[in-house]
Amino acid sequence: MLAYTLKRIGLAALVAVAVSAVAFLLLRASGDVAVALAGEGASAESVEAIRQAYGLDRPLAVQYFEWVGKTLRGDFGESLYFKTDVLALVADKMPTTAWLALFSLIFALAISLPLGILAALYPNSLVDRLCLTLAVLGQALPNFFSALVLIMVFAVGLHLLPVSGSESWENFVLPSIALGYYVAPPFMRLIRAGMIDVLASDYIRTARAKGLSGASIVLKHALRNALVPVVALAAVQLGLLLGGSVVIETVFALDGLGYLAYQSISHLDLPVTQAVVTLLSLIYVGLTLAADLVNAWLDPRIRIG
Amino acid sequence: MTELAAIDLAALSGPSHGTLLRRRALAHKGLMIGATLLVLIVVLALLAPFIAPEDPYAQDLAQRLIPPVWYDKGSWAHLFGTDNLGRDYLTRIIYGARISLLIGVSVMAISGVIGTSLGLTAGYYGGRVDMAVTFLIAVRLALPLILFALAVVAVIGGSLPVVVLVLGLLKWDRFAVVTRAATQQVRALEYVAAAECTGASNLRIIFGEILPNISPQLFVVATIEAASAILLEAALSFLGLGVQPPVPSWGLMIAEAKNYMFFSFWLIAIPGTALAVLVLAINMVGDGIRDVTAPGGRN
Amino acid sequence: MERRIRTLLLQGLLFAAAVTATGTITTPAIAAKRDNSIRVASYQQADIIDPYFNTSLITTILAHQIWDTLVYRDPKTGEFKGALAASWRRLDDRTIEFKLRRGVKFHNGAVFDADDVVATLNFVTKPENKIVRRAETGWIDHAEKIDSYTVQLVTKQPFPAALELLAADIFIYPHEYYAKAGPLGMTEKPVGTGPFRVTEHARGKFIRMERNPDYFTDSPKSQPKVAKFELRFIPDQQTQLAEVLAGGLDLTWDVPPEQAAPARRMPNLKVVSGETERVAFLHINGGDSTPAPPLRDVRVRKAIMFAIDREAMLKSLVGDGGRLLHTMCHPGMFGCADADAPRYAYDPAKAKQLMTEAGYPNGFELEFYAYRDRAQTEAMITYLRAVGIRANLRFMQPAAAREARRAGKVAMDHWTWGTAGIHDVYAIDSVFFGGNPDDMNRDGEVRGLIERGDTSLDPDARKAAYAKALALIQERAYALPLFALPISFIANKDLEFTVYADEIPRFWEMSWK
Repeated sequence: MLAYTLKRIGLAALVAVAVSAVAFLLLRASGDVAVALAGEGASAESVEAIRQAYGLDRPLAVQYFEWVGKTLRGDFGESLYFKTDVLALVADKMPTTAWLALFSLIFALAISLPLGILAALYPNSLVDRLCLTLAVLGQALPNFFSALVLIMVFAVGLHLLPVSGSESWENFVLPSIALGYYVAPPFMRLIRAGMIDVLASDYIRTARAKGLSGASIVLKHALRNALVPVVALAAVQLGLLLGGSVVIETVFALDGLGYLAYQSISHLDLPVTQAVVTLLSLIYVGLTLAADLVNAWLDPRIRIG
Repeated sequence: MTELAAIDLAALSGPSHGTLLRRRALAHKGLMIGATLLVLIVVLALLAPFIAPEDPYAQDLAQRLIPPVWYDKGSWAHLFGTDNLGRDYLTRIIYGARISLLIGVSVMAISGVIGTSLGLTAGYYGGRVDMAVTFLIAVRLALPLILFALAVVAVIGGSLPVVVLVLGLLKWDRFAVVTRAATQQVRALEYVAAAECTGASNLRIIFGEILPNISPQLFVVATIEAASAILLEAALSFLGLGVQPPVPSWGLMIAEAKNYMFFSFWLIAIPGTALAVLVLAINMVGDGIRDVTAPGGRN
Repeated sequence: MERRIRTLLLQGLLFAAAVTATGTITTPAIAAKRDNSIRVASYQQADIIDPYFNTSLITTILAHQIWDTLVYRDPKTGEFKGALAASWRRLDDRTIEFKLRRGVKFHNGAVFDADDVVATLNFVTKPENKIVRRAETGWIDHAEKIDSYTVQLVTKQPFPAALELLAADIFIYPHEYYAKAGPLGMTEKPVGTGPFRVTEHARGKFIRMERNPDYFTDSPKSQPKVAKFELRFIPDQQTQLAEVLAGGLDLTWDVPPEQAAPARRMPNLKVVSGETERVAFLHINGGDSTPAPPLRDVRVRKAIMFAIDREAMLKSLVGDGGRLLHTMCHPGMFGCADADAPRYAYDPAKAKQLMTEAGYPNGFELEFYAYRDRAQTEAMITYLRAVGIRANLRFMQPAAAREARRAGKVAMDHWTWGTAGIHDVYAIDSVFFGGNPDDMNRDGEVRGLIERGDTSLDPDARKAAYAKALALIQERAYALPLFALPISFIANKDLEFTVYADEIPRFWEMSWK
């Protein structure tokens, strides 16, 4: 286990480095940083002066290493648009997005667990197809469309939930549904497949022969085994949710990382965009690493292969 | 000997693999429905200039926001009503099919070529090449797709070619992963080893033996990616960084209809439904292919 | 079959639910807050509250609630009343002396006196402070303290619009606090003398204010009637509308006409519309370094002017209260005249002819920036397309578009300009044609005429200069004036308020029935 862990950590570190380099290069290429820093109406000389002062005329590799050094110390620079420290900005918006991603994941699991189990208990039947359709339906509609319809029906029409803002947990219900419905189908399919496999296995047949009740079989034994790959998927999906919340945050006026990224991209605010993209990527790498390790711990076969 | 040869060997051993597949496909309701819908949409798109009642760009400010024919104030002159600039909505929906299909197909093609090549190379050659490709995939997966697409478009400016290129160059990961796994599996099969023994070149093996074998899985991934690309374009347009007006893309139509959502719901419902139908149809086809080609049926 | 039926059924259900919901919007909204507070929202970002560093209307609106100016223009009578200044007199053509009001305190307790006026005015004139509102303050040379309650303001040149600008844009800051906190601190925790003081500010999210109990009673702005108000930033106008419909907001303004009309049908809401002095126009970059070289040819610019059917747009898109304009100013402004300016009727054939003459029979492409009234922008894109000009829309927040324009990246933009109460041509034309950063064409002759209008104290000389400048702008097709835009407010029907032509809601006047 230790050897495997070290190998995976090493790989993750390499990926992290590569990701940061790609993010750095691609975003640097997105515009002349010196011009953006100099501000509006600056003359050619002041742009040149800024270029020299910030070391923007040095080779990209040198700039990259300097940026990494600063980042590791927590210095992400200053936002060109908000004129505040980038790290503080990101730290301020992070919790909203984290809550949104978490609640969305919970919602996704909440609907895919019963649907997956149900489908597995009656495979290839009408119930099975119905469950799959329900799960897939949300994926076919553009998520901003679902979001707007949800607002219309539940917030405006029925007055059940608030429309926008991020004060209390109520504000996260509709956004989580809109975002979470999207990632439910893969979970549903995975749980269903896993359950079908386990339910057909010898282990379960023995338990049934011993006279254990159906419910106890399903819940205690089959589910536990079927959930192993779900954990890994959950970690990955969490990473994707964090990066994909832009649209939902815009519609529901949630002041999170996704909306910050969108704003900074629209304003060509390079330091913020770089920080957000890098941060989200690193979180994703971390989550997949955790998922890999958990998987390997639960299923020894993986460590050896 | 000749008598044996005269006997229809196929009749003896049963229907061929192709025939079996075709029969199964025709019997699979989901696949048939999905395929029919898809073909319908493609035909609509191709015949747009002949079928559509008007010019999708012709605005008439005096005829704005007329509801579809099934509302009180609707009329048969505009079956689906008109949008906020007085353009016939049915026309724009029909032409919009072109854009969505174009995006779906192009992105699928570009990302397919990139991803499949990477996957094939990694799965076939293994070793260092495999490690390199796996690393590449991991890096690509770690980068948040939509933010990247947004950043690129924000700088270059949104348009159909830009969106297609950006999405195509970024969305190859699933192709690569699936192709790689499938190639590894197939590679280990005996007849591939047999082909190697007979001295066939690597390329011949890849294109002659492996690719045909993994193509069903590739088709499934292709449908998933096409559907995903179509929805991504809708999201980019919603954020203002996708296809630009006045191009009739369903995604852009939804994004613009958002402003009339509460009082002219049809403006957002019709393209939203059209998109959902297209995506569902593509998904059905994908699911169908998977069911039909997977050994032992569905699972 | 089953899957398809299920799918269609479910979709139908969703559709039906949504349609039903549309119908149920007529149910009464949640009871409005009766704790005597108002909740409003803006779709414009109020990220920088310091009005010297942001030209967005929302910042100006907030500024009038938090700070005061030296003089105040009564919106009903048009006369100038003393606000922070008790009285004033002109000493010579470049100096005005103000006697300041005593007994005024800032929200942090500091006493208001001449030091604050001098510090504020001198701060905004120093170029190294890089304030954004340069046209609005560039006319000030410096301010001098004569004694604790007397200040002399010296202008660079004789400047007739001085009082107008002092009333509209020059907010007085507490000098000690501003020296310590700077623009950033002022945005985080605004401190002024105004009728409302800020209790909570979450940048980019919301700002909460409460009535200033010590607001000086001699102020021409009345004492506030409501106890609190909260402004939320909701970027999506649909979400904002949903909030109003659901009762989560009491007031929202600048609602597009297509939403204002149907909202009138809601029993718990009222819609109030009024004319404003906001001028919408198409601004064309025909300067030497324009990103679209064809625009350097006046024939191409004229083609653009002929290509747009403004009458049709006015009738269908602008809404009640809009007015067609023929020169770059609002008819209510001093110095505005359109008699000498050439008219551009809708004539696409002529437009195409001009394009061919200029050497562009197949048209060309350009980047078209805009930030509001998207339906109008898109309508214009279609008109331009008909004459061969393929405009690529770049729709974004106003600050970003303004920066792009000042950096020379904009070939053409659909812009609007509200002068927030300054009824003088100075307030719009020097900004866009007077050689300031937003002037894309940099025409020396036009600039000279505008400067003459800006700096003569003789009203007739001013009118003559402005009339000529405006006519030239039209002859050389630097900008196509579109409309004077109306503004619509959607509010809870029990909220009492008035709509003013300067688009500034006066929260201190609002009250609940």
